[in-house]
Amino acid sequence: MSSEDSVKQPQTQLSPQEEQEKLLDEALQVVKVQSFQMKRCLDKTKLMDGLKHASNMLSELRTSMLTPKSYYELYMAISDELRHLEIYLCDEFQKGRKVADLYELVQYAGNIIPRLYLLITVGVVYIKSNESCRKDILKDLVEMCRGVQHPLRGLFLRNYLLQMTRNSLPDCPPNENPEPVKEGEVEIRSGDIKDSIDFILLNFAEMNKLWVRMQHQGHTRDREKREKERQELRILVGTNLVRLSQLEEVNILRYQKLVLPGILEQVVSCKDAIAQEYLMECIIQVFPDEFHLQTLNPFLRSCAELHASVNVKNIIIALVDRLALFAHRDDGPGIPNDIQLFDIFSQQVATVTQARQDMPTEDIVSLQVSLINLALKCYPEKIQYVDKVLETTVQIFNKLNLEQFLENSSAVSKELSRLLKIPIDSYNNVLTVLELKHFAPLFEYFDYDSRKNMSIYVVNNCLENGTEIPMAEQTDQILQLVSSLVQDQADQPQEEPDPEDFSEEQNLMGRFMSLLNSDNPDQQYMILNSARKHFGNGGNKRIKFTLPPLVFSAFRLAFRYKEMSEEDDKWEKKCQKIFQFCHQTISALIKAEYSELPLRLFLQGALACGEVSFENYETVAYEFMSQAFSLYEDEISDSKAQLAAITLIIATFERMSCFGEENHEPLRTQCALAASKLLKKPDQCRGVSICSHLFWSGKTREGEGTEMNGEASPERGEPKELQDGKRVMECLKKGLRIANQCMDKSVQVQLFIEILNRYIFFYEKGNEAVNVQVLNQLIEKIREDLPELDSSEEMDQINKHFQNTIEHLRLRQTSPESEGPSYQGLEI
Amino acid sequence: MRVSVSRTDPAKMLVLVLGDLHIPYRSNGMPAKFKKLLVPGKIQHILCTGNLCTKESFDYLKTLASDVHVVKGDFDENLSYPEQKVVTVGQFKIGLCHGHQVVPWGDIESLAMVQRQLDVDILISGHTHKFEAFEHENKFYINPGTATGAYNALDSGVTPSFVLMDIQATTVVTYVYQLIGDDVKVERIEYKK
Amino acid sequence: MSFFGFGTTADIDVVLDGSQTRKYVEHKTEDGRKEKYPLYYDGETVAGKVSVSLSKAGSKLEHQGIKIEFIGQIELYYDRGNHHEFISLVKELARPGVLTQSTSFDFEFINVEKPYESYTGANVKLRYFLRVTIVRRLTDITKEMDIVVHTLSTYPEVNNSLKMEVGIEDCLHIEFEYNKQKYHLKDVIVGKIYFLLVRIKIKHMELAIIKRETTGTGPNIYNENETVAKYEIMDGAPVRGESIPIRLFLAGYDLTPTMRDINKKFSVRYYLNLVLVDEEERRYFKQQEIVLWRKADRVRTGGQADESTAWGRDYQA
Repeated sequence: MSSEDSVKQPQTQLSPQEEQEKLLDEALQVVKVQSFQMKRCLDKTKLMDGLKHASNMLSELRTSMLTPKSYYELYMAISDELRHLEIYLCDEFQKGRKVADLYELVQYAGNIIPRLYLLITVGVVYIKSNESCRKDILKDLVEMCRGVQHPLRGLFLRNYLLQMTRNSLPDCPPNENPEPVKEGEVEIRSGDIKDSIDFILLNFAEMNKLWVRMQHQGHTRDREKREKERQELRILVGTNLVRLSQLEEVNILRYQKLVLPGILEQVVSCKDAIAQEYLMECIIQVFPDEFHLQTLNPFLRSCAELHASVNVKNIIIALVDRLALFAHRDDGPGIPNDIQLFDIFSQQVATVTQARQDMPTEDIVSLQVSLINLALKCYPEKIQYVDKVLETTVQIFNKLNLEQFLENSSAVSKELSRLLKIPIDSYNNVLTVLELKHFAPLFEYFDYDSRKNMSIYVVNNCLENGTEIPMAEQTDQILQLVSSLVQDQADQPQEEPDPEDFSEEQNLMGRFMSLLNSDNPDQQYMILNSARKHFGNGGNKRIKFTLPPLVFSAFRLAFRYKEMSEEDDKWEKKCQKIFQFCHQTISALIKAEYSELPLRLFLQGALACGEVSFENYETVAYEFMSQAFSLYEDEISDSKAQLAAITLIIATFERMSCFGEENHEPLRTQCALAASKLLKKPDQCRGVSICSHLFWSGKTREGEGTEMNGEASPERGEPKELQDGKRVMECLKKGLRIANQCMDKSVQVQLFIEILNRYIFFYEKGNEAVNVQVLNQLIEKIREDLPELDSSEEMDQINKHFQNTIEHLRLRQTSPESEGPSYQGLEI
Repeated sequence: MRVSVSRTDPAKMLVLVLGDLHIPYRSNGMPAKFKKLLVPGKIQHILCTGNLCTKESFDYLKTLASDVHVVKGDFDENLSYPEQKVVTVGQFKIGLCHGHQVVPWGDIESLAMVQRQLDVDILISGHTHKFEAFEHENKFYINPGTATGAYNALDSGVTPSFVLMDIQATTVVTYVYQLIGDDVKVERIEYKK
Repeated sequence: MSFFGFGTTADIDVVLDGSQTRKYVEHKTEDGRKEKYPLYYDGETVAGKVSVSLSKAGSKLEHQGIKIEFIGQIELYYDRGNHHEFISLVKELARPGVLTQSTSFDFEFINVEKPYESYTGANVKLRYFLRVTIVRRLTDITKEMDIVVHTLSTYPEVNNSLKMEVGIEDCLHIEFEYNKQKYHLKDVIVGKIYFLLVRIKIKHMELAIIKRETTGTGPNIYNENETVAKYEIMDGAPVRGESIPIRLFLAGYDLTPTMRDINKKFSVRYYLNLVLVDEEERRYFKQQEIVLWRKADRVRTGGQADESTAWGRDYQA
């Protein structure tokens, strides 16, 4: 034996891999030659010679030079060839050859490896040809294999045993009342399921011992390599469990009484982390869920007894995931009622955690993650289970006595986030999440970044699912929960957040506002007040994003009260309060030194007021308009912004129809004044021109409110357009005057054309103060000025503008509209 | 994701017209049914009438098509958006303007003044939150309404809507998508130059 | 046959009674070959017929008498001249006279005692043979014929298992157990090795059957050891608590019954040698004597057994 090994010592400097390839090649070459000889002898029915060659071939498996991978290849090649021998022997025995002799004969082989491979091959043929001795042969084979104590060779030998016997194991229930053996009769010992279980369990135990032993052989520096090799070989050990699971007669009862205790005993006692971790998962994977359900306690109890470095978490999670899937399966029977799955797991997880004091916190939390998964998948209706897990988690953290918040990047923080995201994702309803009493307290353990990320997750979930928050109390709860997005936090970083991230996150909150929504307007009002309280404390930077949605939501609420005015006789008072609320809220933005935003919101408020038309609405609308003006005058200084703002004020005001003359007059005068006071002449010109519309389509109501039966009534007359042609003309003339003052000729012409268009507009609307002569004059003026302009792209545009205007007039002249004015005398 | 504008078939162009999203002030987002319809890679140009309000909304449009044109709405803070814009698609000159500056709001003749000034075949404006598409003195006017169904003080019955323009040679086929109840209704309006 | 080339010669032929039915067994000759011989047991009558044929028809053979002897003898190779006959029986077949024609004589040794087993060893040979002698004045005419004797034993009355704990302190402790101390030649040795302490890296373990032939007496004792079987029973290194099974079939090996102090001339004893080899090729062993005995054969079909024997032996090579 030793001399044989030394022959295979590498002669030249080869890399370990090349050396392996070479050794394997040589061995396979021998296998090829010997198997060829074997088959030739068998063909000539020279059995003894055939066996001799088989034995020579098998001697290759005695090597110690091959890595597990190469050894596996060699083993596969050889076991393929042994198939021929097996088939030949089966044929022979069918022809009547005596098997018992052969079973003895092959045992003369002097070397144990070839001897046992042959013994197994013959033994199995023996069983196949005569079942009556099956029990004894199986027992003998599995016992004799003890002779190979070398881990690698032993594992493969026993694997061969397992492979060969796979279709020959007894799989019938034991005969409970065997007839006594009569004299002269031979007892039939074909065995039953118990023998098969014993057989596999013994083989399993031996293989596992060999596999574990590998860990302790060789040099410590090769540990990593050894562990890798062990992982490669684990399937050989696991096959035993697969085989057990394939036996029909391994039913729940036998699994509970014989199989599982046998396996667990071996797993626990081997004290090897790699083996324990693999085998526990193997148990979970190969046996049916129905079995697991009946054996949860022993299985989980064993988990607590495993080696300290075993990742018990993964094992339990694997089991939970399986069972959760099982509970969820459509065609499955579900979890039987008598099994308190959640309670069992929850207790056993606690035991495991207790037993392993050195378990990292993140793993403890991971176990809670699996528990929560279990609760949600198996008992979706029982939110108290989910809450129980969260409570346990709170207790875990309490015990830890953390001195600081969990760092965002820490493993614990990540696991806790995972834990909290599960109910969010699975309910997809934040209202259900709010019912979990121990959900929010867990936020307290996070640091600022994690808290914020989780908050964003919650809010996004609401938005994605369109979860509306229908109560003020819930509004309060959720805004408290996500307070890291709502208000400054004591532990937030000193430096300013990235502006883009900040606005993104605050826009999210803005969008969230629209989900705060109750069917009941009074409740809605309370919701808005609650939200106002939270967002109001958000600081200057946040309120820009969060208060405007609140204001619009309030506007909408006012409209709702109006719609239901017949059902709620206090609706007007309530609207009054809403607009006060809006006023206050918009004013908060002014205090935070915003100007354009509150200006627009005031204009929107005025518009809404005018439409809702509750008691006193004119006064309130006026207040909103005057606030807009104040902001315009005091806060808007940029000339472009001024033009934009005054244009918006005018345009808004033009649409409003809630004012009586006594309020309309000062406002429109104010507009005209503001327009004429714009800094730049073209802006002045345009502002004034736009103002002209206020005197035409601007609307007022006549008469004071009349008090009837003591009830305040805002009734005025129907709104009426001013249609003050003269004042319109005055505005436009003023516009022309200002245009005349422009130094830039092209701008001047441009402004003339714009004013011409407004003349045409009003002419066509029937303003009698505008007549054809006026149009002719202006057209002539423009025609005179146009050629003086330098040609440019701008000039082309101006020309086009004019051409288009003339084209419009020509169209109207040739095909006048029935109600339109006559363009007779127009010179185009 | 960036989708390059397909120039291989210049005869056929799909233009998405939309605006007045008002996210987050007045709405939390586009209806899911609209988002489902708007898939990247189909649309060549986007014309937006404004009031996107946030960069996220703009970024979203950029995922649908790389060529996005936006004009400034009254609630847009982005100073780089112009008040008006002219875009040429195929043989059509298209004017784009939010409309809050056009007094009186939504008035045909006032919009016609803008059309004449910009010298365009089609004028697109918004602000009223109400879809409209009509021909006036041989020019075509489109208001895509509000894509989110955003609140408007002057209109209590706002319907979410947007418009797709299929531009082929001298013809524009306009499809308006409106979310009525839970259903998306589509109407077709054709305009020839 | 005649030394001097004259006078009449004769051929002697011995035919044993029942030679058609008698069992023949292989037996090793001194030069290592195997030949078949008729098998006899102790106390069995050896009878037959001696035929003397004259070489030339019509000639005469004058003799001083014709006799047949039955001899059991031990021959020590180092002392070839001295044959120790432990049995020597003579029967007279003819009184002195003249043979004028070929003649047959019946003979019979009734219930002959054959106390020892035929044996061909390294230094000693024990043989049984018949010798016919035609006594003449100058040269006798003789003829020898070997037979083989097997000694049969009955089941031993006491046959305890062989159990022992052995070891090297703090290094290796094993307990071994063989099921019996006495095995018949077709028996199976069954046993196990139980490892109580293993601190060495064992590479493999084997069981050997050693035959020890002892010849001579006093200062002239020769011991000849031969490893008859070498059988690997374990591959690799066991750990504490392992128990390794042993099963060794004896039928395949070339064994004889244990012979103790045969006629004060020689002994043949057998030992089981358990050998453990460690990774540095150091050998640890323990020898135990076993007693082999021959059991009466049951009638069995010989062919296969022979074949198996052949194969088993080949494998040893």
